[in-house]
Amino acid sequence: MLENIRYFIRRALRNMRQWPVLCSAAILTMAVALATVATFFLVVINIQGLASSWSEEVQVVAYFQQPPSRNQLAPLVRKVEAFPDVKQVIYVSKTEALKRFKTRLGDDAGLLEGVSRDLLPASLEVTLKAKSRNRAGVERVVSLLKKDSRFNDLRFGQEWLERFENFVDLLKFVGLILGSFFLFAALFIVSNTIKLTLYARRDELEIMALVGATKRFIQIPFLLEGALQGLISGLLSLGFLGLSFKLLVQKSLQSFWLTPVGFDPVFLAGNQQLILVVCGVMLGLLGSLFSLRKFVRL
Amino acid sequence: MIQLFNVTKSYGKESVALREMTVHVEKGEFVYVTGPSGAGKTTFLSMLYGATKPTRGQILINGTNITRMTGRQIPYLRRKIGVVFQDFKLLGSRTVYENVAFALEAQGKKRYEVSKKVYQALKEVGLEHRLQRRPIELSGGEQQRIAIARALVVDPLILLADEPSGNLDQEVTYEIMELFKHAHARGTTVLLATHDHSLYKRFPKRVLGLEDGRLIMDHQP
Repeated sequence: MLENIRYFIRRALRNMRQWPVLCSAAILTMAVALATVATFFLVVINIQGLASSWSEEVQVVAYFQQPPSRNQLAPLVRKVEAFPDVKQVIYVSKTEALKRFKTRLGDDAGLLEGVSRDLLPASLEVTLKAKSRNRAGVERVVSLLKKDSRFNDLRFGQEWLERFENFVDLLKFVGLILGSFFLFAALFIVSNTIKLTLYARRDELEIMALVGATKRFIQIPFLLEGALQGLISGLLSLGFLGLSFKLLVQKSLQSFWLTPVGFDPVFLAGNQQLILVVCGVMLGLLGSLFSLRKFVRL
Repeated sequence: MIQLFNVTKSYGKESVALREMTVHVEKGEFVYVTGPSGAGKTTFLSMLYGATKPTRGQILINGTNITRMTGRQIPYLRRKIGVVFQDFKLLGSRTVYENVAFALEAQGKKRYEVSKKVYQALKEVGLEHRLQRRPIELSGGEQQRIAIARALVVDPLILLADEPSGNLDQEVTYEIMELFKHAHARGTTVLLATHDHSLYKRFPKRVLGLEDGRLIMDHQP
């Protein structure tokens, strides 16, 4: 058994040495295919990150008819915080509201001189949990707040929310279509390249079958070779992607005027990097398996 | 050893390669299969090592009906049969040693056993000094010797040769024939397809004559 495994590994390595051009062609094709799909994935996760940072703006502001007394406020905040969709509740007093307004006016703050602090109402700023930052979540919170007569007005940027949701839906749709396209294109190119490399070696496959090699004996070294090429491709594409991200994307995004303030592009997480390499191995393995079926007929 | 009963092989309605062929070959016999191009010689041999299946009829090898064999069983049939072709079918990227060793490795033989047997087989065909050369560096006759060594290294019960001298000159052909005669002398059943009349005149043995897919002659010298 151990001798067999050693023999298969030896043959896979020897095959790669004996066919350097075919081997490099297969590795490069797979690396380019993997890098393309991974780049697309990277763009998607960064846009999603951006969208999720925008979604933090989704909040409900409940204005008080009369500011609550100190004794009433704490139980009220606790009650709202206990709503299943709510992440955080901040009380904005009349004084705080006026202070914020003055800050926003900046140089024109002088306009508010002599204005009483009763000008602006006190309010509760209700921030939603990430999964509830959508129309349904907002509506659930609003309907609960409406039951409390102490609030006379509720604002939640309905129009903005609708546009934002449409944008996220479009993003998911385009992502799915483009992602599937890239994936199929990659699979098509890789399987054809592997088919061509095996076609060039069809004599070897024919002779193996002729001298009484079993299907398994013929296929295993080729599968090992495919998996090894896939592993190298995965590592190559990861290295290429990492370098381009560090040297090009991060620097150029920082100097790009449209880049939102505070947006820091993220690279693939550790487990995603592992998935990329494993995908490379699977791509090489399955690509070889499907192509071998065509050539090894006993 | 080899029994064919009413074997027909057709490729579609128009093209029939073998028609109702019934023939028996005893263990240890040496048989020429002759006939013009397209007579069905290659089809006849390829059915014996399971490369093609007959459309009708039965083929028994060593008592086993090979027409009923599944794809999984075919490799085990081939391990009992050595095959030699006109175009040698050697791996150009491998050395002479590796080409011959390949047949034993495919059967899962141990490394030390492989090296011993490969050396013996190459010595028998007179190529033991060419172990590390590649086939392309050698002459046609030498390449055919490698192919014969590969076929014989597994000690086959049957040796099939499909026009083995087709690409070789007369002198080399006779040298190659000596190797087949040696294999035959050791008890291997040999079937040799050829259209070269001079061969069976010089080395007279049983001759099966094919024409248009029919067995038209079965001649014992």
